[in-house]
Amino acid sequence: MSEEKADSRTTAHGSRLTAHGSALSSVLAVAAKDATAELRRRTALVAVLFFAVTALALVSFAIGPFGLPADDRPPVQAALLWIILFFAAATGLPRAFAHEEETGTALALRKTLPAARVLAGKALFNFGLFLAIAAVTVPGFGVLLEASFGSPAGLAATVLAGGYGLAVVSTFLSALSARAGQRHVLFVLIAFPLLSPLLLTAISATVEALRGGFPGTALRVLIAYDGAATCAAYLLAAVAWEE
Amino acid sequence: MAAVVAAAFLWPEPAKGFLGESSRIVFFHVPCAWTSSLAFVVAAAYSLAYLIRRNPWHDEVAHSAVRIGLLFGVLTLITGSLFASIMWGTWWNWDPRESSYLLLVFLYAAYLFLRAAIDDPERRARIAAAYALFGAVIMPFLVFVAPRVTASLHPQTVINPQGKILMDTPTRVVFFDALAAFSGLFLWMLSLDARAARAERRAKG
Repeated sequence: MSEEKADSRTTAHGSRLTAHGSALSSVLAVAAKDATAELRRRTALVAVLFFAVTALALVSFAIGPFGLPADDRPPVQAALLWIILFFAAATGLPRAFAHEEETGTALALRKTLPAARVLAGKALFNFGLFLAIAAVTVPGFGVLLEASFGSPAGLAATVLAGGYGLAVVSTFLSALSARAGQRHVLFVLIAFPLLSPLLLTAISATVEALRGGFPGTALRVLIAYDGAATCAAYLLAAVAWEE
Repeated sequence: MAAVVAAAFLWPEPAKGFLGESSRIVFFHVPCAWTSSLAFVVAAAYSLAYLIRRNPWHDEVAHSAVRIGLLFGVLTLITGSLFASIMWGTWWNWDPRESSYLLLVFLYAAYLFLRAAIDDPERRARIAAAYALFGAVIMPFLVFVAPRVTASLHPQTVINPQGKILMDTPTRVVFFDALAAFSGLFLWMLSLDARAARAERRAKG
């Protein structure tokens, strides 16, 4: 058996992970492995989308499009949108590392790839999952609550920047809490304060976008937060997912 | 500390633009906020030291710093709420500064929840250190950035766009003495609490 074969693992999902591959190919392989597993089971995807649609229907039923004066709608709609996105994400994103521990594949993954690449791959998968949530929730929000997307580009940029930060921080915290007791409750407890600057800024940016302006300042803050969180998660990945 | 408390009530005149004696809260509220932030920075520094050296003493100091930082953080919220009730007529009005400080307290309360959820002492120390360092990276967004994205009623006597400390001389002297006194009190409490934790670890063997 060659050295490359000895150091590589072919997972149960058919994706090939190798310690000798480039960083990008390793990251993509981890994301592809998680995507393949998810497409087979569809647990997280169905749970997350079901939560998002249920929450959307409840909010729509509770306040409806005309339950608020026109001027008051953007702040309330922006806050509700991000609350739905956050809790929908909290339903599915924390599974990133916990699933590896539950199925006993964590050790193989630890031995095969550096923690930072595993974290990046799982964050990429989680970002894709978030985009799937947003692809259902945001248009649904527009239709059911008759939210006027004054600046679609501003809203899209806010969802992308906010979703990226949400995915990175959630993935890192998933690694931290993967082997802790009561990890589902714990995840929300530790995620909410760390994500609150992102959520507050994303809500502020969404209000501006709904009112028709491009949220330049808030987007810069979101991008700075994303950058800081990415660097911290990269540097601490090995510690978070150490055996 | 006693001299600072006495001077805070006796020396500087109440500041203009504030109701009654309410401006004197600056000698207690801001030092509490400073001390809690200092405690969280100390926690981050000792967490980093733990990850490098894996010495349990560093974890004990970090843990103690977070606990004491939380105490001063809660005192910051209480003194701020007192000021709000006098100046704004309400104990809590979701001002961006109030809200962001509350979230900062939640962030470090979550550190204690995280520790409580992990049984193995070595893993608990490692995960808590990683969380404290990650929290230290996010903390500036809560303390400095998020409160400034939206308008705030909070007075800006120390950190403001002009880059000047907007205080007369007696107020400035007492204010900086209060910062030093509260910092000293924190270091004393930290030393006591961390040494108690170390004694408990050694007693358990």
